[in-house]
Amino acid sequence: MTMKKHNKGQIRVIETILASFVMMVALSFANVFVTTPTSPKYEATELQKVGYNVLHDLDEQGLLARFVYKGEWDNLRSALRVTLPSDVYFNATVYDFYNRKLDDATVFYGDSQIFSTSKNIASVTYGLVGLSIKISGAYQAIYEPRIVILRLTRG
Amino acid sequence: MSRELLSCGSREGDSLRKLLGHKKGQFVIIAVLMIAIMIISIGALMNRAGTYYKQEPWEEYLTLMGSIELGSRRLIELSLANYTNAVSPDSNILKANLQKWQINLTRIYPGYGIALNYTLANQVYSVYGTSIGYSLGLNYTWQKPSSLSAANASFNVDINSVGLEGYKFTSTAFLNLIILNATTSSNEIVVAVKGDGGIPVTGLGKDNFQVVGFSISKVTSSYDQTYLIVYKIKCSGTLTLPVTVKVWDTRGIQVTARYP
Repeated sequence: MTMKKHNKGQIRVIETILASFVMMVALSFANVFVTTPTSPKYEATELQKVGYNVLHDLDEQGLLARFVYKGEWDNLRSALRVTLPSDVYFNATVYDFYNRKLDDATVFYGDSQIFSTSKNIASVTYGLVGLSIKISGAYQAIYEPRIVILRLTRG
Repeated sequence: MSRELLSCGSREGDSLRKLLGHKKGQFVIIAVLMIAIMIISIGALMNRAGTYYKQEPWEEYLTLMGSIELGSRRLIELSLANYTNAVSPDSNILKANLQKWQINLTRIYPGYGIALNYTLANQVYSVYGTSIGYSLGLNYTWQKPSSLSAANASFNVDINSVGLEGYKFTSTAFLNLIILNATTSSNEIVVAVKGDGGIPVTGLGKDNFQVVGFSISKVTSSYDQTYLIVYKIKCSGTLTLPVTVKVWDTRGIQVTARYP
């Protein structure tokens, strides 16, 4: 009889242990699948957003088309270096509409090996329609699409 | 009889109390199970939210839309620049360029299933207080003290790969040149230049203007209460009226105005 009375509280202890076990399992289950926004899994997407925003801002200001159509590759490199975070390496290539790479149209910053070794490389494609250029006093505005491919990674 | 009943009732009452006492733990177990179910449900929900975000890069679609919208605006400006600078203007230039852009978009952004449809403005619109009669999305009204060049087209974009349909936007390009005054004694012409949104165009210089028959010696800008910014074009030689002034903005769009 005395034993029985002493045993009464043990079920509560077992309940608490069971509840803790269930909670721990549930939390572990959630932790396995949940990916926080700061996770490296989102790194490529984040870099894509940064890259696109940079190209869009340059195009909005009318600079990107000028750099691409007038072949101002040093200016493009400087603009990208200034606008992108300092730890972001980039490799921009410009193609004409027939997928032919334009001569000298590669703008590069960073370690040359990093693009072959890095796991998180973001790629941004940006289309341009043309540029109105003044040639010997007269403006020429011809539709001539070009494609800018910007690859980004962190150093 | 009544005593027996009472004692029987008290015994039953004791056993009921005992029974209730023993059942207390079951409610705790039920509560724990419910909490466990809730936690597991939240876990499953978080898992679904995480994988859903990973599978659908909405930001990418938004940026793609932004890119198409800006590209379409640039095409409108480019076509208007072509139209206003050509020796014999091609009224079909905007339509032809848009047809190419419509096809080329699928090659620039492959795999998205982009479908771009456009409608060219073909009637009279009131733009910043001025009535403009568009034909195939283009108009130029020149040789007046207030002259303008304008283009207008409406777009509808679908991204079929994600079932995104009916993104609509309108792109316009506008340039207005107003000759406010021309003084022959001082050889000076005062003009105002307005761009998209009726906003004054800033940063124009000697290279952006041409006075037909006269060479420009200096262009200065100053504040004006009505137009915010006006340009004073100083000509070399003796200015005679009527005077024809041409302007090109940074997009290469031309407007030719005549005064008076």
